[in-house]
Amino acid sequence: MSWKIWSLKKSPWVFHVNTGACNNCDIEIVNLLTPKFDVERFGIKLVGSPRHADALLVTGVVTRQAAPRLQEVYRQTAKPCVVFAIGACACDKGIFTTGYHVVGPVDKIIREVDPNAIIAYVPGCPPKPEAIISGVVKALSVL
Amino acid sequence: MNQEELNNRLSEIEDRLEAIEQPADNRIWLTCDAENSYAVNKFLFEEVPLRFVIATGIDSDDCFEVLYHYAYDQTGSIITLKTKIHDRENPAIESIAPFLPGAEWIEREIHDILGIEFKNHPDMRRLILSDDWPEGVYPLRKDTDLEAVKPGNGETPSRPGFKPSPPKGAGQTVSPILAVGPFHPLQEEMEFFQLTVDGEIVTDIDVRLSYNHRGVEKISESLQFDQIPFLVSRICGICSATHPLAYVQAVEELAGITPPERALYVRTIITELERIHSHLLWVGLAGHFIGYDTVFMWAWKYREPVLDLLEEITGNRNNYGNVKVGGCREDIPNELIPKILKELDQIEKKTEMLTKAVLDDPVLHARLKGVGILSKEDAIKYAVTGPTARGSGVAIDVRRDDPYAAYADLDWNVITQTEGDVFAKAVVRLLETFESIKIVRQALKKLPEGPVAVEVKEIPPGETVGHVEAPRGETFHYVRSDGGNRPVRHKVRAPSYVNVPSFKASCIGGHIADVTITLAAVDPCYSCTERLAVIDNNNKVIHDYDTLLRLSREKTAQIKKELGAPELKMEDI
Repeated sequence: MSWKIWSLKKSPWVFHVNTGACNNCDIEIVNLLTPKFDVERFGIKLVGSPRHADALLVTGVVTRQAAPRLQEVYRQTAKPCVVFAIGACACDKGIFTTGYHVVGPVDKIIREVDPNAIIAYVPGCPPKPEAIISGVVKALSVL
Repeated sequence: MNQEELNNRLSEIEDRLEAIEQPADNRIWLTCDAENSYAVNKFLFEEVPLRFVIATGIDSDDCFEVLYHYAYDQTGSIITLKTKIHDRENPAIESIAPFLPGAEWIEREIHDILGIEFKNHPDMRRLILSDDWPEGVYPLRKDTDLEAVKPGNGETPSRPGFKPSPPKGAGQTVSPILAVGPFHPLQEEMEFFQLTVDGEIVTDIDVRLSYNHRGVEKISESLQFDQIPFLVSRICGICSATHPLAYVQAVEELAGITPPERALYVRTIITELERIHSHLLWVGLAGHFIGYDTVFMWAWKYREPVLDLLEEITGNRNNYGNVKVGGCREDIPNELIPKILKELDQIEKKTEMLTKAVLDDPVLHARLKGVGILSKEDAIKYAVTGPTARGSGVAIDVRRDDPYAAYADLDWNVITQTEGDVFAKAVVRLLETFESIKIVRQALKKLPEGPVAVEVKEIPPGETVGHVEAPRGETFHYVRSDGGNRPVRHKVRAPSYVNVPSFKASCIGGHIADVTITLAAVDPCYSCTERLAVIDNNNKVIHDYDTLLRLSREKTAQIKKELGAPELKMEDI
């Protein structure tokens, strides 16, 4: 394991990107910070800029208008980084698959700019906060 | 004015109308020529006067239809004006936005999706389609081949959605689009605001939508009537009880279905539990925006038990999708009632503490009173709904005006405040939380025995509307059926759609430091405050979201100091 990956796994700072979600995955992500789940005790912190982030928490189907912005956010994130596709929409467009303004899912859009991106999937509509924590732990443990 | 007087009022313009239909007492359908639509709309909005709800554009094979939906809240009536545009090559109709600013967005939207030209519209920029969407492709026209619309064709639309950047000054290379980030962790829909400021004072505000446009209305046309509740509950995660309910009520009205009484009570309980957790969520975020992170953590902690209850009843913490045409999907087991009551006691105690902490705090009084005022006149002009309207003294609430579910049997109050500022809206939401707790308690006590769903066979052809009071205001659905399995048109209007444009009235003239909290005060699914770009006309300074949040918090700290509260360092808040 390279030292970069080793250090990525400790206290990951995350940046939250909404690409056209219904709000639920986003609320559950914010829920993680509030007293009941409180992931800051593991050193996981939401940061305000992708340049400070080790991981992107991406929610939503990726609409046409959001796709180039998601790619730009990914370009700005310090590498190596992990992209988490949170929720059914981010994983596979979910119920919005046939939407005319939908160009996702997240992995397709990210792979357009970086074919070797590390992408982890947390399905659910929305995934429970426990599921998101579990997904993050699993992804970090296989890196 | 009662229903009869309203009918008399409407018959005053009979000579301009082609037909008046009244399938139910408080559902009125008017038909008129496209040439007369401006005059009739003006009469309905200014003379009667009615509250503008939304307009719907429909492609019905040989012509285009534009439907203007109005509400008359004293009787809970919905009045729809139908017009037909027969010219399919160059469809055009007179815009009503010059006298009705609340219609500005929807006319832009109808132009985007159907290509109908609105003559004399003040601002026909693109609203909901993306910047790279090709010109002349209208997704809701039935003959449009959407497969052919591939992303990234590099075309620049002639009607860009953004406001043009101010002319570049010497050595200035700023552009408002620079502020795509920072994203904020508390965002929901992605909306892009452009604020024009003169020093500290906001002189103009503009918003670009499309980031979150998923095309739900089109997807809905491809789903069956019983599948749609699952789709519409995912329009907005935090209104996932009210969207399906509005849709289901519309379809039930069309098919003449009366759901069993227990189902009506279960619907009431779920909707009110949702209102409790939604309002607590807003209080938390409002606290965060002005630098009271403790309020944020507390409020979000207290809403957790509500989510647990909803999970126990419906199987999901959010996106419950618990209503279906004809009743409810899941019943509330009687064994669960004592637990719900016990949790409600806890939630009530905690909310009381939170309310006292907020309402007794002199700093919050100084910080939020007189900020972001939306006057009663503006509230009516922009046709806002929900707590945004009630905070400005407009006492409308669909639950009372056009009772649905079990609200008519229960005893509760509509909370209003007259000031129209951020504080008034906070008071409305906090006090409404107690009303919701009261409603759930009564509903649980009266909960009748019996089944929660009836069997539904067929949905007859016809058109219908349904509306319910969501935590943010009135959610409105229009459904047209041709007798088949799927609707031919399904129009959705969420409350934020009319509440958000009222920023033009409440933000302009205020301070930059007040912008975040003013925007947050209408609870625009609580996310609109992200992605702010501020353009300073004189200094060409770009403020991003973080700067605005810092300014907002500094102002709170300054007020604290002036009030003699112990000084708080910026690092602490």
